[in-house]
Amino acid sequence: MSANQVTLLILLFPAAGAILLAVGGRRLPRIGTAIVGPGVVWASFVATLVLFSNQVKGDFTYWTWIKSGTFQVPFNLLVDNLSIFMCLVITGVGGLIVSYSVGYMEHEDDPSYARFFTYMDVFIFSMLLLVLAGNFVFLIIGWALVGLSSYLLIGFWYQRRSAVLAARKAFVMNTIGDVGMILGAFVLFMTYHQTTFAGVFAAATNWCPPNAMCTLVFHSDSAVLELAAFLLLVGAVAKSAQIPLHTWLPDAMEGPTPVSALIHAATMVTAGIYLIGRMHPIYDVAVYAHNAVAIIGAVTALFAATIAIVQTDIKRVLAYSTMSQIGYMFLAVGIGAYAAAFFHLLAHAFFKALLFMAAGNVIHAMHDEQDMRKYGGLFRQLPRTGGAFLIGSLALVGVIPLVGFFSKEQILGAAFSKGDPLALSVWVIGAVTALITGFYTGRMWWMSFAGKPAPERPVEHPHEAPPVMLVPVLILAALSVVAGFIQTRALGFGPSVVSDYLASAVGHMTWEENSGAVIVGLITMVLSTALFFAAYRFYVERSWKAWSANAPWAQRMLERKYYFDEMYDAAFVRPMDAVASWGARDVEGPVLDGLVVGTGNAAVAAARSLSLTQSGYFRNYVLVFVGGAVVAAVLLLIRVA
Amino acid sequence: MTLGGSQIDASWFLILSAILFTLGAAGVLVRRNPLVILICIELMLNAVNLTLVTFSRQLQDLEGQLFTLMSITVAAAEAVVGLAILVDIFRTRDVEDVDELSEMKG
Repeated sequence: MSANQVTLLILLFPAAGAILLAVGGRRLPRIGTAIVGPGVVWASFVATLVLFSNQVKGDFTYWTWIKSGTFQVPFNLLVDNLSIFMCLVITGVGGLIVSYSVGYMEHEDDPSYARFFTYMDVFIFSMLLLVLAGNFVFLIIGWALVGLSSYLLIGFWYQRRSAVLAARKAFVMNTIGDVGMILGAFVLFMTYHQTTFAGVFAAATNWCPPNAMCTLVFHSDSAVLELAAFLLLVGAVAKSAQIPLHTWLPDAMEGPTPVSALIHAATMVTAGIYLIGRMHPIYDVAVYAHNAVAIIGAVTALFAATIAIVQTDIKRVLAYSTMSQIGYMFLAVGIGAYAAAFFHLLAHAFFKALLFMAAGNVIHAMHDEQDMRKYGGLFRQLPRTGGAFLIGSLALVGVIPLVGFFSKEQILGAAFSKGDPLALSVWVIGAVTALITGFYTGRMWWMSFAGKPAPERPVEHPHEAPPVMLVPVLILAALSVVAGFIQTRALGFGPSVVSDYLASAVGHMTWEENSGAVIVGLITMVLSTALFFAAYRFYVERSWKAWSANAPWAQRMLERKYYFDEMYDAAFVRPMDAVASWGARDVEGPVLDGLVVGTGNAAVAAARSLSLTQSGYFRNYVLVFVGGAVVAAVLLLIRVA
Repeated sequence: MTLGGSQIDASWFLILSAILFTLGAAGVLVRRNPLVILICIELMLNAVNLTLVTFSRQLQDLEGQLFTLMSITVAAAEAVVGLAILVDIFRTRDVEDVDELSEMKG
């Protein structure tokens, strides 16, 4: 089997699984659904492993999809180390999460059970298409399809009004991003008349295709590239829930927990990072857009972390923490440390999927209660879940030797050692965010697992999750512990597997790591760990007075999430509603209806007045007839005369 | 035109025909009895026939007479249809005034 066929197989497995479950899901026995759903993802994983182990690279064109004059859209899949890396994350972590869903969705009835796995497979297919696409058209198709499957899965429990509203919100926000993406692709197409990545990059920047030897010569037409890069950034910001298009992600937690783990933590929300990494030849030239990426990422990281301090819903804390961590990745790609961003993407996929699934186990044990204030003291009763959750939390805080330390500190180290003012200021923001991360993560863990059980806890003696839900969590916990050792650059020595692997696709960092970065990183680590433990004093022992007692206004502002929803409500939703109701009241009725009904009424009135001539009296008709004849005769005589 | 050895001017025939036509038209306009109205229409038709014949003779063209024959045929048909309708109406009720026959107005 040749490499391009294997590449196609990666896509075909989940597509086939989705079609099978969609068509035959109702007739398939439950065990069949439980095998097909995750099975096709694992099959894709194996196919990806084949490409990975054979070091396959290439731009495979299968057929020409659209051909109209000079406009050509081939169906081509771009296989390089970046897309293989993304496929490994998607199918590997995705496989674990979809397997976990077999247990988590156990309570659904059969049609819903099959529907869930159909959507999950559709999502995996779309995400793989997104990362494998070799041209802008298929990138946009994959981009829109992941938005669609996200919408379907957030609204999975469509009987709940809040879930439907959240799904709609996510879809609208993502559509704003899609429009940006499409416009960006248009700008590039109008300028370079190319739809393939290879064609655009070659025309725009003299970019090197994989396996080619060439020197980079940057063109100076960067105004167009700036525009395109900013438009593409709109798409990335919407998909990755960065400021200002972030408001959908916390609401998306209405979906089932495996969905939050897969789509809203591990894979889909990182599509923005992938996009900017993939478009790095453009961003390397478009300096302003590139700086904007770093600023947006840093601001979002800090902003989301502060909100996470006051959230009481365990999934919402994780959602804001996801926004914050993706902010780190934006920060990294924004300053040009692409490989560091993708390493953090990998690490985040591990520990955040772990945290979400462990949270899912807790929610399951607590009979769907998500309020952390009603947990307390769970560690003794759920030791495995609690332990895994602790590993995930410490990885999120960035404690040596967990994977989160190496990935986060590499980003901060890169920012610290780059030296320009922008990098330095985003480093400051990132470091402060790291400290806050330690605090809110500690608050989450201690509130849920330590102390005494809360009096209003719904379940007195919770049960540990079944193996199908525990094993994926434990595997991810193990990965969170060991994965850091493949890249220990944050300590200044050791291997850098991810960076070396991705170097052929995203290039090397253009500056050296500063030795001071290691020391600064260790200080950050110690401080944030200290804050992790300080949270115990605040929220369990309560020996320290809650910080919010001194600043209730800050507490309120954070609980209202900086009033973003209220601002959008006032700026867009309510004016829109006002215009709509004005239209319904003052335009639709009087003007539009008036025109239509008025035309009818006028016709009726005209007919009524004409019908007066139809008196039915013979003499009237004759009089008109004779009178007409006389007039005609007179006219005739006048003409003759 | 010669009549009994003496010439009569064609205008006399036309004047007669005009008088007959006017009488017919006035009858149609002022009379109310449907039967009388039909007769008046016949009168108008025949006034026109007279005009046609007069001009035919005057211009030495047979087309006028041909047209008259045609007109008489049509008049016969018209009389048949009109009378048939009237007979049918008179069967159900006694109509003295055409104004009574206005049920079909819009």
